[in-house]
Amino acid sequence: MTPIIEIKHLKTRFFTTDGVVKAVNDVSYSMENGEILGVVGESGCGKSVHALSIMQLIPDPPGKITNGEIIFEGRDLLKLSEKEMRKVRGRDIAMIFQDPMTSLNPVYTVGYQIVEALRLHNDMTKAEARKRAGELLALVGIPGAEERLDDYPHQFSGGMRQRAMIAMGLSCEPKLLIADEPTTALDVTIQAQIVDLVKKLQAELGMAIMWITHDLGVVAEMADRINVMYAGAIIETGKIRNIYKKTKHPYTMGLLGSLPRLDDPPGSELTAVPGLPPDLLALPKGCAFAARCAYRTEKCLAEKPPLVEIDGRDHAVACWHWEAIEGKKTK
Amino acid sequence: MTEINPEEITVTDFAVREHRSLWIDAWRRLISSRTARLGMFIVVLFVFSSTFAHYFLNYEPKKDLDYSLKLKPPTLVANEEVPSVHIFGTDKLGRDIFRRVVHGGWNSLRVGIVAVGISLFFGGLIGLFAGFYENIIMTRTERLILYGITGFVMGILTAWIAAQPFQPFLLAAVGIAAAYFNELYEGKAQRMLIFALLGAAVTAIPALLVSSTAALVCGIWGALTGALLSRPLDGRFFSNVIMRVMDIVLSFPGYLLAIAIVAFLGPGLEKGMIAIGVVGIPVYARLTRSAVLSVVQKEYILAAQSVGEGHGRIIFRHLTPNILSPIIVQTTMGLANAILSAAALGFLGLGAIPPEPEWGAMLGDSYRYLASGAWWAVLFPGLAIMLSVLGFNLLGDGLRDALDPKLRT
Amino acid sequence: MNTEKTPLVKVRHLKKYFPITGGFFQNKIGDVKAVDDVSFDIFQGETLGLVGETGCGKTTVGRTMLRLYEPTGGQIIFEGTDLTTLGEGPLRQVRSQMQMIFQDPYASLNPRMTVGSIVGAPLDVHTNMTKSEKYERIQDLLDIVGLNPDFVNRYPHEFSGGQRQRIGIARALALEPHLIVCDEPISSLDVSIQAQIVNLLEALQKKLGLTYLFIAHDLSMVRHISDRMAVMYLGKIMELADRDEIYLNSLHPYTQALMSAVPVPDPDLAAERHRIILDGDIPNPKNPPKGCNFNTRCPIAKERCFVEEPEYREIKPNHWVACHYAAEAPKK
Repeated sequence: MTPIIEIKHLKTRFFTTDGVVKAVNDVSYSMENGEILGVVGESGCGKSVHALSIMQLIPDPPGKITNGEIIFEGRDLLKLSEKEMRKVRGRDIAMIFQDPMTSLNPVYTVGYQIVEALRLHNDMTKAEARKRAGELLALVGIPGAEERLDDYPHQFSGGMRQRAMIAMGLSCEPKLLIADEPTTALDVTIQAQIVDLVKKLQAELGMAIMWITHDLGVVAEMADRINVMYAGAIIETGKIRNIYKKTKHPYTMGLLGSLPRLDDPPGSELTAVPGLPPDLLALPKGCAFAARCAYRTEKCLAEKPPLVEIDGRDHAVACWHWEAIEGKKTK
Repeated sequence: MTEINPEEITVTDFAVREHRSLWIDAWRRLISSRTARLGMFIVVLFVFSSTFAHYFLNYEPKKDLDYSLKLKPPTLVANEEVPSVHIFGTDKLGRDIFRRVVHGGWNSLRVGIVAVGISLFFGGLIGLFAGFYENIIMTRTERLILYGITGFVMGILTAWIAAQPFQPFLLAAVGIAAAYFNELYEGKAQRMLIFALLGAAVTAIPALLVSSTAALVCGIWGALTGALLSRPLDGRFFSNVIMRVMDIVLSFPGYLLAIAIVAFLGPGLEKGMIAIGVVGIPVYARLTRSAVLSVVQKEYILAAQSVGEGHGRIIFRHLTPNILSPIIVQTTMGLANAILSAAALGFLGLGAIPPEPEWGAMLGDSYRYLASGAWWAVLFPGLAIMLSVLGFNLLGDGLRDALDPKLRT
Repeated sequence: MNTEKTPLVKVRHLKKYFPITGGFFQNKIGDVKAVDDVSFDIFQGETLGLVGETGCGKTTVGRTMLRLYEPTGGQIIFEGTDLTTLGEGPLRQVRSQMQMIFQDPYASLNPRMTVGSIVGAPLDVHTNMTKSEKYERIQDLLDIVGLNPDFVNRYPHEFSGGQRQRIGIARALALEPHLIVCDEPISSLDVSIQAQIVNLLEALQKKLGLTYLFIAHDLSMVRHISDRMAVMYLGKIMELADRDEIYLNSLHPYTQALMSAVPVPDPDLAAERHRIILDGDIPNPKNPPKGCNFNTRCPIAKERCFVEEPEYREIKPNHWVACHYAAEAPKK
């Protein structure tokens, strides 16, 4: 299958008064049609920045995409003009964000905002767009959808607002939906509702979804593949079972080990990853994780490990010693 | 591949950022702005020249008079007609304008500092306490003091009516009693009645010595005061009241209010300083209060309370250092404003008493000679006002950008 | 686990209402019942976990318990003394025995004070230690929490979130308190740092014999660290029991739904799990439903639930539930 989007050697930098922040460092991967990809990492790993780079929403200055290609439907998005890119945004690739209160305009009704999105990309009359907006709100599970079109964002609860955001994102039936931490700010029972909704919608509409989060639990329920990011690069990627059950990278192992699970036996310890994430202004020469890694050697500190395929596309890892560490899992 | 054994990783201190004080960061940002640098230069020049002139160069305005040099244009070189050099020319009394501009700067500087000082001190304290007690519950002692003060203030009116200066103390005592016995008939109507009667008695009985009408009026006012103080008023109430008073003062056009105060107090630069200072109090009160409100809800204030720190310590160690930024900016802009106000008062003949050199007064003296061609007498004082105000404003703008909390990490 | 059955803290019928004002004169037109009749014990040396979603009142419980908010009703009996009746002076003294760790590591430290002054502030207020004694103690505290003692003169903005949280913990430990209320201490931190802090808290508990009230919304983390757990919803405790009892034998439909909603980082388990997806949103705390607070979303709500508030009772030894149909709720 030809991938729906292919990212090659993406590099994004922020040029600030304190120095150059290397936010995204040589990221390459692809997504298939209809696939759900989980992009997992902690703060500062570059997961949100790389998504914004795909949408080309990086503020310039101080940010700049210094290298790479993003092939979407045969075209390199980075070579498009702003006008052409605007046609892609919303219609072919849509994005939803973490905080629905600030990503919905509080002075316009929700209906207005969806209609605006629809009419921007489609040739619809106001009446047609409004009808479609109502259908979309009903699709995302908002009761009384027709009436709620005239409500303002503050009249919706957090979960409802996020559903409205999803409706807006799906309004033009994009081929790829990028969701940047969509449930992080929501309560756990509401999060369960939203995850359920997204799974249903994906089954119905068949679009590809990139789900960005720091929560390894959430993506375990719905993703097909996972990219684990650290310090602006992908350090492990592959099919979901491989990442969780056949973990190879010490960071991923550490991350999984530091998560408490409801089915943990009592008295078990959390294996914390010691130390702190690196300063993106001064990335070390070798592997970015080496300073915190229990398995590091001289080579790790000197040279950056490339992403090597262990099982074709289904599992790849960026670590010099992945073979030796195999079997020494923490869980 | 050899077996790799995991080692014990001790938590060493990574990525602690370079030790840089927040103030140094702000200073660097300030200097990097061209307009801020210009502002700083002008301000420094202004302050330096005025201070130097005042302390090292002698100038006696009363002795400065020479009709023969009346309204001479600027000269760079002495000649037959004008035996001395006057680079800014002379005014209607033959005085060297350059000298008067430089010495006038000292007066403007003084006005600025004193006026802003008054506004900052009183306005700042009002805003600080208003903002603080709006959010933090008063201790019993604080409540006693506050009720006492309120009673005292209310008593000023009755003291004035009955010409009995001890009246405020009586009502203060009523207030303290109301706060001390705060559980007496709490929430019931009897409480209000008791304290109203108490307030009435305490004011009316002494006033009887003066006249029965005085006693009646004082009695009514005392009753109202007592009734008010019987209620469980919280910090929010007092803050509201005092901020509304600030609003009332603010609703007067600044210059008119200043003129009114000067008219009341009499002419003179010192009176002008007080007038401008008083007019500025509500501005600082509002500013300080809003800065306090943004800080007092933060968790470190709650943490200080949970540690058991007293209110005084919280206000001065936690609150004050964190509200300095907007106050610094406002003070700088306020200096510009004060200088302008002083000039306005001087122009109208209020403020500096002639022959004291003061830029606005110099303008006021000389503008009528503009038509006959003596442009120098108006231009140079005017430029001085404009440049000094500009300098402070540019500096203030630069400070605002440099101290902007959004840019702080 | 609780070896002695002496409660360090007894909370009885605690209430905290926040008035809603309206109208021209800002009159009180109602209350937000943030904490509505909550009762529980905390035993010496244990960790009681308090979980719930937005608006459940768990943070308010923590703060009211320390009298950072004035309770609207109820009693808080700490080591035998009722805190609600204490005057200001005695209350300040008791404060040295109960401390708090706050959620936001960026807002809970005064940005203009050095780390040394922040950690030393409790010592200034409550002790007469000399400067050098204080300095030594501060160094010890920084060491205990895993920070380099040389950083005494640095400012909070020079540290990362996890390190700042350690500073907050050091501050809380300064006076050797008996009880520490941890108000969402790890919610703002990265996942890998969360585990570090939780391990630190557990180590400190063992070493210093501390008692924790651990408030959080992350159920799996609370379960990991707690001996017993209480689940709150809209100002009331729905269920309180031993940690394992709640996990294996939860009796309240809300607890069960909450458990099933927590994501498990294991794709196989995630696929097989029975999920209870609740309908609808959390009601506005200003307008709680009549009867049981949970009736708008409860999968087993019956007529009685809309009329009568369920009683909070000890349905099994050490297992408290507030539900009319607790015994009938479907098991996992």
